[in-house]
Amino acid sequence: MATRRTFIKKAAAGSALLMAGGFPYESLAAERSQKLTILHTNDVHSHLEPFPMDGGKYQGQGGVAQRAALVEQVRREEEHVLLFDAGDIFQGTPYFNLYKGEPEIKAMSMLQYDASTMGNHDFDAGIDGFAKQLPHANFPILIANYDFTNTPLEGKTAPYTTIKKGKLKIGVFGLGIELHGLVPESAYGNTKYIDPVMTANTVAEKLKKREHCDMVICLSHLGYQYDSNKISDMVLAKETDNIDLIIGGHTHTFLDKPVPVLNKSGKETMINQVGWAGLRLGRLDYVFDSKKSSKLSNAQSVIIIKQTRGF
Amino acid sequence: MRFTITGRWINISIVFLQRTPVMSFIKKISGILLTGLILLSACHRPYYIEQHHDRFYTVNDAAQADSNIVHMIAPYKKEMDDKMQVVIGHTDTMLTKMQPECTLGNFMTDAQLAAARKIQKDVVASVANYGGIRLPYINTGPITLGKMYELMPFDNMLVIADIPGDVMKRFCDHIAKMKGWPVSGIRFDIAGNEAKNIYINNKPLDEHVTYKIAVNDYMANGGDNCDFLVPLKKETTNIFIRDALIDYVKKLEQEAKPLHPKLENRLSYGNQANIH
Repeated sequence: MATRRTFIKKAAAGSALLMAGGFPYESLAAERSQKLTILHTNDVHSHLEPFPMDGGKYQGQGGVAQRAALVEQVRREEEHVLLFDAGDIFQGTPYFNLYKGEPEIKAMSMLQYDASTMGNHDFDAGIDGFAKQLPHANFPILIANYDFTNTPLEGKTAPYTTIKKGKLKIGVFGLGIELHGLVPESAYGNTKYIDPVMTANTVAEKLKKREHCDMVICLSHLGYQYDSNKISDMVLAKETDNIDLIIGGHTHTFLDKPVPVLNKSGKETMINQVGWAGLRLGRLDYVFDSKKSSKLSNAQSVIIIKQTRGF
Repeated sequence: MRFTITGRWINISIVFLQRTPVMSFIKKISGILLTGLILLSACHRPYYIEQHHDRFYTVNDAAQADSNIVHMIAPYKKEMDDKMQVVIGHTDTMLTKMQPECTLGNFMTDAQLAAARKIQKDVVASVANYGGIRLPYINTGPITLGKMYELMPFDNMLVIADIPGDVMKRFCDHIAKMKGWPVSGIRFDIAGNEAKNIYINNKPLDEHVTYKIAVNDYMANGGDNCDFLVPLKKETTNIFIRDALIDYVKKLEQEAKPLHPKLENRLSYGNQANIH
């Protein structure tokens, strides 16, 4: 217990700071705690419209205009919202065959995506085909393990970015899948694939330690999990440090809940993926505190609050 | 870092201070404190993940479509619909996607074989990779051009590969291991990871014969682990697989015939008595 004397001293100092800053005193109380909402998609595959009403499994679901309305609603309700995509924006409906990705990228810009990575199908109009659509993008394409030197994408993507939201600093980087054997060489040209684990460790450490990011997010198109020991989000999570969240894609996996994995230093890395075709919009709400809490140092202590509000 | 005062503290202190002469002193030193505050804010104050929770939204009509997006898409949609909603044929049965054999796969490989035979008469069979079927089903009734684009969105080309008998056996084993791919002109039993009782063009597989097989360029270039096809002699045609499908449907329509897909035990799990 503080004595009355020290109480007054501290109180006076605190009030002075408040006055000087000119903000209402409630905000200092709220300042210790910061909220962040992350929305995400993957493998939308040119599904701009909902699935047709033809009796099929997904009839009436999906659609970028419907997704925009959901995103808008969340942005109205929450102050700090980020929106990401994990690649394979292109290919899957005649929109892509006719317009080579133009309306897809335009729609993502209108939805104000904060960043996306590249999937293997984003090479389907060739590397120059993707580059051609980038003037329509008002969000960065993040990819840390493709070297685009001497390709039409040279200098047009970034390995990572940092985003300030409220008092938070968020680091985001992208990882792509091995292209050889998956994408025709004529489509990816001189693109060089770099080991994703090595890349992730370097970039994530830089974001956490040097850029002092409060959270590091990886947008991955490696795929959730494989029978073989092929690199996947599960392998990536286990073999890296400093990644808090992997937003995945490629395998079109519908995860009803994000999967917590213990990373190399025994801390929690979450993996999430929301199927494909824009059928779902994923949402993760994080609460941050300026004091380090011991109770959340590993996956066993994850607090998952069941949300009841639904659409 | 330096902030150690909680919200509760401040609430109490404000009330307390309003009644004291300390207030005027604080006002005097506020300039110094302001400088301190600016210095403090220059470096990033760390935050730690305290808790998280999750949910997902199923995107559907419950959310009113965003009109700006609808307007942006509208001109693209109109042009696309005008082109794609053209009816090119009909099917009297629903086409579906399944393993080891399915009607969508049979249709695709039959069409692929027909197109290849126009180029080289002695093509005996055709194979497609299961992952290359990009629609789960096509309903009974009219078939639009758009459906063919959805079924085969990729600009894959038709390839005719000269496959020696031993490689053909390996190819069939690979198909068995993958639990069955679409085939036309080929029949066999899937026994675990192996193809048994293989018939090519109604004759038992002969390891000394080289077969002309229609495939897509994705497989021919080693895609879906078809590395064994890479070194083979082959002709890459200038025909899109999709165009082969479209031509097949259109030709039937010209003959006033609907597609009549059926399962024929081309591939099956375990021994089947009716394989000859």
